[in-house]
Amino acid sequence: MIGYIFKRLGLAAIITVLAVTLLFLIIHMIPGDPITTMLGPRATPELRAALEERMGLDKPLPIQIVLFFTNMLRGDLGTDVFSGRAVTAIVFGQLPYTLALIFVSITWAAILGITLGCYSAVNRNSLGDRLAGILSVSVIAVPAFVVSLYSLLLFAVKLKWFPAIGAGEPGNLPDQIWHLVLPSLAIGLSWVGYIARLVRASMLEVLGEGHIRTARAFGLPKSWITYKYALRLAILPTVTVIGVGMGFLLSAAVFTEIVFSRPGLGKLVIDSITTRNYPVVMGSVLFSTLIFVASTTLADIINALLDPRTRKGS
Amino acid sequence: MSTPTLDIRNLSVSYSTPRGELKALRNVSIQIPNKKIVGIVGESGCGKSTLISAISKLMATNATVKSGEIEFHNSDILKISNQQMSELLGTDISLVFQDPMQTHNPVLSIGRQMVDIQFRDRLSKVEKYNRASEMLSLVGIPDAEERLKQYPFEFSGGMRQRIAIAMALMAKPSLLIADEPTTALDATLEVQIIKRLRELQDEIGCSILFISHHLGVIAELCDEVVVMYAGEVVESGSVRDVFHSPAHPYTKALLECDPGHIKEKTRNLPTIPGEIPDLVNLSTGCVFAERCSKKHDACEERPQFSSLNTEHFVACHLTGQENAL
Amino acid sequence: MTSDVGKMNETKSRSELSDIFYHLVRDPLGLVGLIIVGLIVFSAIFAPWIVPYDPIAMNIPDRMQGPSLSHLAGTDQLGRDTFSRVIMGGRVALQVAIPTIGGAITIGLILGMIAGYGPKWLDNVIVLLFDTVRSFPTVMFALAVVALVGPSLNTVILVIMVTSIPTYGRVVRTLTQSLRNSEFIEAERSLGASVFRIMRVHILPNVIGPIAVLAAMDIPTVIGLEAGLSFLGMGVKPPTPSWGSLLNDGYNLIRNTPWLIIAGGIPLILTTLGFTFLGEALRDVVDPKLRGRGK
Repeated sequence: MIGYIFKRLGLAAIITVLAVTLLFLIIHMIPGDPITTMLGPRATPELRAALEERMGLDKPLPIQIVLFFTNMLRGDLGTDVFSGRAVTAIVFGQLPYTLALIFVSITWAAILGITLGCYSAVNRNSLGDRLAGILSVSVIAVPAFVVSLYSLLLFAVKLKWFPAIGAGEPGNLPDQIWHLVLPSLAIGLSWVGYIARLVRASMLEVLGEGHIRTARAFGLPKSWITYKYALRLAILPTVTVIGVGMGFLLSAAVFTEIVFSRPGLGKLVIDSITTRNYPVVMGSVLFSTLIFVASTTLADIINALLDPRTRKGS
Repeated sequence: MSTPTLDIRNLSVSYSTPRGELKALRNVSIQIPNKKIVGIVGESGCGKSTLISAISKLMATNATVKSGEIEFHNSDILKISNQQMSELLGTDISLVFQDPMQTHNPVLSIGRQMVDIQFRDRLSKVEKYNRASEMLSLVGIPDAEERLKQYPFEFSGGMRQRIAIAMALMAKPSLLIADEPTTALDATLEVQIIKRLRELQDEIGCSILFISHHLGVIAELCDEVVVMYAGEVVESGSVRDVFHSPAHPYTKALLECDPGHIKEKTRNLPTIPGEIPDLVNLSTGCVFAERCSKKHDACEERPQFSSLNTEHFVACHLTGQENAL
Repeated sequence: MTSDVGKMNETKSRSELSDIFYHLVRDPLGLVGLIIVGLIVFSAIFAPWIVPYDPIAMNIPDRMQGPSLSHLAGTDQLGRDTFSRVIMGGRVALQVAIPTIGGAITIGLILGMIAGYGPKWLDNVIVLLFDTVRSFPTVMFALAVVALVGPSLNTVILVIMVTSIPTYGRVVRTLTQSLRNSEFIEAERSLGASVFRIMRVHILPNVIGPIAVLAAMDIPTVIGLEAGLSFLGMGVKPPTPSWGSLLNDGYNLIRNTPWLIIAGGIPLILTTLGFTFLGEALRDVVDPKLRGRGK
């Protein structure tokens, strides 16, 4: 088990390195000099000189990459072109909002989705199952930002049930939760359908396996069989899916933050692009990549923990 | 004669398939006397699995019982509710299935699963664990207490099957149904498990319905045997009668083809030519007629059961006539 | 003799296609999907001829109108007919989706087959490459590139294509791997068939089905991505109408009129529904496990 964790972390590290290198190469492949690319046209001569020194642009490319990494590991992702503040600090300031949004979205989507999926599997081909099936398929692919816009239009602007802007007063938890309702609904909606279908398919497969027949042959109560025996096995793929889905969640969060004018990583990136504040853009993209890699790794590890076959190394 | 533990009368079960009605069981009657072991012999497609699923009421959704009664403990299983059936399963009726690798939940420990099936008993968890480890020792698994904490993948196929038998017998059922429990195991294991099964049956005093296509095991273990072909019972009686004086051509052919019976060394193992008939489009005559070497005109009509003695029954036109063709 | 065999193969592939079509039409969801997709493709191809007004023609006196007989979906802030812009936007959507997915499939196919069939070290390298590209959250990556290079249709196409390659590549790779070990490939190899022939004749036909299903499910994602980027102002440049830029206009004017958002969102929803239904129905038809199960 420990061996597996190490292997998985090692893989994550390699991929991170490759991803960052790729980003670095892209910056350098853009026509024009890298400093303008990185700092944009607003850079002052002092900033340019500072960056040139930090990046070691006179040195050969591999050394530059290594320098980039050492800076990154020290937590130095550069400085904001306007304020001079460290990018890392800026990103960290906005990150909690995005993480909160993602977390709430996926939690309610998972709860509803798993329940729906279980119900569909146990009552296969019933009217409820068919309806749930069509609904699930319908919501899966609708882009989150369209859902955001429509719910903003209907529930916030027209009906005025929910706030249209912002994350709520800092320190006022109920207000903040209130502000989370619409955005998390918008992001979570397509996930409910996806998870429901996944759980349904997984459950149906598990329910057809021999050990479920044994459980029935011993007269175990139906709810036990469904939840303790079948769901436990069926849920394993869902964990991985959510981990991988983090990437999509981050993307969806970008749009939702814009639509609802919420603070967060997404808004930060867009604003920075508009103001040509490139270090912040790069820093944010890097950060979200790191989050994504971390979440997929975590999902794989949790999956291995839940399945004793991997745990004990069968 | 006391009432049999299980009395199946004229059971007919069909599956609805896209091609039509598949008549898997037709007028099957089997009795399992108290404390006896009855074996069912037949090749794939003879209806054994359907029979088991009917008795345990775990049938597929496209299966329908066309007729018949299954009497157990003074009630007709086919008529009781699912709730009542679920109370019987795991207490009075237990099952052991064919593939030991699929029998247990892979992510729960064996101990946990053995405790779970005791859910109806008002015992403490510790007591349930103790009962479980006792049963494991009984089926010959050493170091039972430790092994309860382990997961199914940590046991070999033979051990998993023993665990399955332990679980089935834990509640001291009146009837144990074993569906080819040793088919997936090698010969030495098979011998051990059969021996253990016999001992346990003696101790617990239950009846066993034992399904197998391995004639040697049936001869070794069972008191009585029922020969099934393509959804019908063709011959039944004590093991002695049926195996020493087989009356139905199919039974005779089975015995001839059994590798255990063959005396001389040969390159080619005998087989029964032909295949089982299409159960959707059945002819009106004897179901075995197509493959029977002794087929004649009378076989156009379905044979009735005739008895050769009080226990030995056979469904063939040849009985009562000259048999030495 | 050979002409007969050739004809046999031809009829076989033709009947398989019509077989698929036959099953698709029987499935209610598939039929709905087929109709919707057909409508969208049709209107995209014939857009310049069926639009009632010029999508970029401004008409200030008639601006900000709600739906009416003369303007089915109303007008926007510059007096342009929304309905025409919607129809033209479909064109843009497909203009992005087709080269993107086409390119991703082609490159994914090649890389996937190489990874599945070639030496292990090459496989490892390609898989690592796939995983690396996949580790970028798509929109973030797209935004980063657009930030550096500037918004344009081609940038969007390139970025989405690159991030889509691993999706197809992985599927092709898995299929190639499993087929590579199958017996009839071994037989072919022992007969001296070249790698190319094996890939073309045996692996390719088996891979096309699942790829088609993936593509059908992917098109709405790609279209949604383009719309999203245009919504953020990072996609197509004005005045080219894209559903995303329509939504952007609508967002800015949300307190003045709901119609722009409604008009911009409906085609997106329809498109995603249509392709998703189609993809689902295709999968049911193509997946051998489900085939023959009937209703």
